[in-house]
Amino acid sequence: MFSDAEISVFLDELEEKIQILNDNFLLLEKEADDPQVLQEIFRAAHTVKGSSAIMGYDRMSRLTHEMENLFDNLRQGRLRVSTEMIDVLFEALDTLKSLRDEITEQAAPVDIEPVVAKLRRFLPGEGAENMAGGIPAAATSSSSGSAFSLTEAEEEVIRAAYVRGMQAYWIKVVVDAECQMKSVRAYLVFQTLQEQGEIIKAVPPAEDLQEGKFDTTFEVVLLTQEDAGRIRHLLLTISEIADVSVETINLPEDEAVSVTASGVAGSSQAVTPAGKQGASGATREREEGVKQAKTVRVDVQKLDNLMNLVGELVIDRTRLDRFAAIFRSRYGSDDLVDVLNEISNHLGQLTNDLQEQIMKARMLPIAQVFNRFPRMVRDLAHKLGKEINFIVEGKDTELDRNVIEVIGDPLIHLLRNAVDHGIESPEERVRVGKPRTGTVLLKAFHQENHIVILVKDDGRGMDVERIRKKAVERGLVDAEMAGRLTEREILNFVFLPGFSTAQEVTDLSGRGVGLDVVRKNIEQINGHIEMNSVLGQGTEFEIKLPLTLAIIRALMVSVSGEVYAFPLTNVMETIRISPQEVKRIQNTEVIIVRGKVLPLICLAEYFGGQRIGDSRLYVVIIGVGNRRVGVVVEELLGEQEIVIKSLGEYLGRIPGLSGATILGDGRVALIVDARALTQEVTRGVAEEALYAAS
Amino acid sequence: MAQKAEVTGREEQIVVFKLAEQTYGVDIGAVAEIIRMESITRVPRAPEFVEGVINLRGRIIPVIDLRKRFGLPEGEQTRQSRIIIVEIGGMTIGMIVDAVLEVLRIPAETIEPPPAVVDGVDVAYLRGIALWEERMIILLNLQKILYENEREALEEAEAAFEATA
Repeated sequence: MFSDAEISVFLDELEEKIQILNDNFLLLEKEADDPQVLQEIFRAAHTVKGSSAIMGYDRMSRLTHEMENLFDNLRQGRLRVSTEMIDVLFEALDTLKSLRDEITEQAAPVDIEPVVAKLRRFLPGEGAENMAGGIPAAATSSSSGSAFSLTEAEEEVIRAAYVRGMQAYWIKVVVDAECQMKSVRAYLVFQTLQEQGEIIKAVPPAEDLQEGKFDTTFEVVLLTQEDAGRIRHLLLTISEIADVSVETINLPEDEAVSVTASGVAGSSQAVTPAGKQGASGATREREEGVKQAKTVRVDVQKLDNLMNLVGELVIDRTRLDRFAAIFRSRYGSDDLVDVLNEISNHLGQLTNDLQEQIMKARMLPIAQVFNRFPRMVRDLAHKLGKEINFIVEGKDTELDRNVIEVIGDPLIHLLRNAVDHGIESPEERVRVGKPRTGTVLLKAFHQENHIVILVKDDGRGMDVERIRKKAVERGLVDAEMAGRLTEREILNFVFLPGFSTAQEVTDLSGRGVGLDVVRKNIEQINGHIEMNSVLGQGTEFEIKLPLTLAIIRALMVSVSGEVYAFPLTNVMETIRISPQEVKRIQNTEVIIVRGKVLPLICLAEYFGGQRIGDSRLYVVIIGVGNRRVGVVVEELLGEQEIVIKSLGEYLGRIPGLSGATILGDGRVALIVDARALTQEVTRGVAEEALYAAS
Repeated sequence: MAQKAEVTGREEQIVVFKLAEQTYGVDIGAVAEIIRMESITRVPRAPEFVEGVINLRGRIIPVIDLRKRFGLPEGEQTRQSRIIIVEIGGMTIGMIVDAVLEVLRIPAETIEPPPAVVDGVDVAYLRGIALWEERMIILLNLQKILYENEREALEEAEAAFEATA
């Protein structure tokens, strides 16, 4: 039996190969004859075949064998890629994934026969048997300094040994020239080595050695957990052995087919306009492979716990600081007080570093999410009879793990919409003078303290006038008001629950269906989504996400004796005003800042406390999208980094609050939900009045 | 609960506390710890009986005032006041009580179903009454107390109960 750790290594590798297969199938469809793509696929399938066989996953081994077989035929030019074949290949890939799930989740056994039969159907007449074991021996010379080479099958065995924590050595034994009974010496060498591990190859072959059919030198490949020095020492104790050299065989993490591996193999960047990435793509793939081997999977919960513990440290440090201050005031500056200060400072430094490191540990490349999409877009386009060039950029962009978990669904929705409703049919595109093939772009990149994700298509776009009309029909705005709203404001109506359905918004259907849910999901992780669309030219969704969920910069304020935090992303500016500057429009208090009318809200009052009525008022101007609201607070305490914590399931969602954080002194401060506050306040305001005033 | 009593030889371990001159008990299995009163941050717009939130070693824990939860007269916090931290259904919640008295082991058969009314405490919140060594301990049904969103369901059950009573 294999240990959990071994299975986990196998699964990691499997995951990687599945991804390579997935990416390259997509490429294969575009560039059917690219030998590099075929080679890449062949190798991935081959590796899975080998390692699953070793692990005893027979069905997986059989399935990948069939796949490999097919690719071999493609590679040899005996077959041609067809759309139908790609479909079956994807089916096989899905089956492979099910087999994987079987291992990880003890899912019900998967029947591989139907898809195996389908794969076979493509094979040329001579049948599968010829090729069954006929893996072309792409001989390599990965063991440096030796004239001999390993076959692919041997490499496979060596790689499997790596998985089991073994090393492979290329051992060269020189027998004393005067030796009378060479065969006995060789036998002793074999026996000694077999006690330490497993001999998988001998040159000349073992039978020859036993008959003494060699000069003075022979070589063997040994798999063992022992180190090279000890092996060498053991052999040298055998009499009449003149010399022994032990070399470690280092196969590359991935495949060892050296010639093609260093060539063009655009596998990492699934589908790109050019379809090829050049050597850098292949290099990155390799680096990722190596990196993966050094990765430990950690439950996010554990990281959260670590973060909490660091929070505790921060609190203790603050207390220590205070303690030092008391000492200083009591005893003045003396050596002990200085040491105490020093300790406190050092502790502060350490906790900061610790916090940063844990944060970094939570980050994952967005490739985790993006990698699923090329296949999805491909299938969908295929089904709808559309031609789509799907471009994915910025897969390396890193995001907080929690954000990554949430962002998948909204992106699926937006991409589906783009393919389904955005991109026109090839015929329609030609008719309106566009290229037959539509383009959908999915792109992630950094922007200051945010990650931006774009979902963009060059499809038919949205009809602003229709949305405007519909908004009026639905009574969301009156006609006059609707006329004044900008295009972007009008477009944002589609994010309202149940706003746009089917035919009413676009010529086809449902562009807006579910967009309210998309927005909700994104806002849940403190993100923000906006849409731009030009009729006939396409639609673009821009999602802005915080880098991490856990830590944000915030403006701390005090209200009715409690501390509140305003996320800095929503704080536009802070000002001081006198009560006389507060004006009234209908029932709403407003202030005018640089000619703009802003609704004003007293936070204490909003939270059910006493209204603040000082001679000078502090106002925090918060903004979400293009809405601005002034919030009156008692005191500004300054900016700081805070760790966001949820208020928990029991309290649920409390209007105006988005969470809590722990202050330096251990007390809890609440985080103001600027978005909800802005929406609530601006909704309550008679908008016409505001417009009239400005 | 009943099954558990059987396993432990028909005994139950109860954390006994005082609230408005009455003696109450909760199953010790639900009690994570008992802490002294500390600074509680008020949470505006939360239900009235929610006193606020505290920092329990880096976790934000809501704290409810059991007196308010039961609609009992307000009391003052004293040096004896404690927060009992309970864990129910994956949630951790603090409950303010007047004093924690002791941990008792009581035979399960001394527990009787709750009478219709106990000193104004809604019967739906009760699990039963334990009469043990001259004492009367009111056992709480934490599930019911903590799942505020099930309140409507509770009220319905109450109405049904009253109809049958």
